[in-house]
Amino acid sequence: MAMTSKSDSTASGDIEQSLYAKRKKIYPREVHGLFAWMRASGVFILLGLYYILPWLQWDERQMVLFDLPARKFYIFGMVFWPQDFFYLMLLLVAAALSLFFFTALAGRLWCGYACPQTVWTEAFLWIERKIEGNRPQQMKLDKQSLSWRKFRLKASKHFIWIVFSLYTGLTFVGYFSPIRELSVNFLQLQTGPWETFWILFYGLATYGNAGWLREQVCTYMCPYARFQSAMIDKDTLIISYDPARGEPRGSRKKSADPRQQGLGDCIDCTICVQVCPTGIDIRDGLQYQCIGCAACIDACDGVMEQMGYAKGLISYTTENNLEGRPTRLLRPRIVIYATILFAVLAGTAYSIYSRVPLVLDVVRDRSSLFRETDEGLIENVYQVKIVNMDQRAHRYNLSVEGLEGASLLLDDARIEVDSGEVLEMPVRVRVDPELLQNRSATLHFRLSANDGADLQRIEEARFIGPAPTR
Amino acid sequence: MNEIPVIQRVIAILWPSFITAGIATVLFTTAFDPEVIFVDYDVSRLGVYSITFFVFWLLGAVTAMTTCFFLRPCSAGKRQGSDD
Repeated sequence: MAMTSKSDSTASGDIEQSLYAKRKKIYPREVHGLFAWMRASGVFILLGLYYILPWLQWDERQMVLFDLPARKFYIFGMVFWPQDFFYLMLLLVAAALSLFFFTALAGRLWCGYACPQTVWTEAFLWIERKIEGNRPQQMKLDKQSLSWRKFRLKASKHFIWIVFSLYTGLTFVGYFSPIRELSVNFLQLQTGPWETFWILFYGLATYGNAGWLREQVCTYMCPYARFQSAMIDKDTLIISYDPARGEPRGSRKKSADPRQQGLGDCIDCTICVQVCPTGIDIRDGLQYQCIGCAACIDACDGVMEQMGYAKGLISYTTENNLEGRPTRLLRPRIVIYATILFAVLAGTAYSIYSRVPLVLDVVRDRSSLFRETDEGLIENVYQVKIVNMDQRAHRYNLSVEGLEGASLLLDDARIEVDSGEVLEMPVRVRVDPELLQNRSATLHFRLSANDGADLQRIEEARFIGPAPTR
Repeated sequence: MNEIPVIQRVIAILWPSFITAGIATVLFTTAFDPEVIFVDYDVSRLGVYSITFFVFWLLGAVTAMTTCFFLRPCSAGKRQGSDD
């Protein structure tokens, strides 16, 4: 918050200077209503997912595990390798597209309902409310000097916050290091040094962001606040106060007719300001601090109901609608974003579904162009790398094709690779020089599973021989 | 700089450098296998990742602080209540 004051005595006249005033703690008033219910549901579902997921198992292994040292990500039944980095890119593209789509549709839906900062702050505020009481009680407590009661309340609140934060940190690390062993170790204070560090670090971040910084994260850290205006147009649903209906504002008796008194529907109760977690007055218009939580909508609707007026003085509406122009939600921009988003998601899903969990890499031995064997055949040596990305071990068959008369020699004809293992082996290909048309020929290596599984990979390689003497 | 809250200035330095450090750590450890680079040191893999991350964060933060320093107005400016 800033105050302005005039500085005194400079030769060139008065200068207005903004002085920095320390931030005043914001006490969002408790609110009930449709959107509050939706937010609470969001908190339950998202936090529930976050805390429960690492405890679920799939085939003896944690269902969701990001094994960084082994460079494998286990998500449900699938294993993702560094080679699958492409899917991460696709997912990022899908995330960006959904950002544009949802923002163009209804502004900061993410911020108000799904963002981890909002979700955890809601949980922390709920704990605070349970311990310290409602808004006026909290404000009164903070103004008091330190007493035994105040100390007891504050200490319990921070204690519960800290335990909750540590548990959050533990869960976070549990996505990277199997959570069952981790929890047992943690309770015995026997976690490894770096795991301990990250649990504490992430716990501290949770405590700091949700308990202390709160709306300041949204105001100062979040880039969404800054560029939301670029993604919103006059047909975007934004949370807005209807000044045409509400102004001029003023208190009046419930039984009175406001129009007779020359008043709008707004009774200036300021409850919309009291419930706001970022402390703004929505009647001043959409501001960048507004996270779109719709608490003001619920609050105002409640007051309107009590006054016997129609709801919706503050509501999700479009700028066009407020200015009395026709408005359309389903417009080209929305349709295009939706279509591309759907295409990317469908493409990613299909791509993952039809993924062949097998990698074949063929690299020609570069130490020599070719070698002539005792029988006069031309030989090339290749280094073959086979990666079995499937859940179980497989036996494979390797063959060459595309080059007439080529024969493949392996040290060991039996190719067996365990799940998640890499097999590297040299192979030789021999051809009668009579059959070689050019110096350089193309051939294909075919790797297929011969244990009944439908797995196959084909890789192209070059075969180098002597210049034809014909 | 007086009108910008302290917390905003602190965040402007620590938060972008945090993000960059994350990205840099991913790229660095993808390109260079920690077990090969740091084979002479007795640190676990997770330790290498962590230290790499914090070194990058520190570098980024120092850069950001330098940028903030150079963003200060060049002229001495009128200070409140100063007599010139």
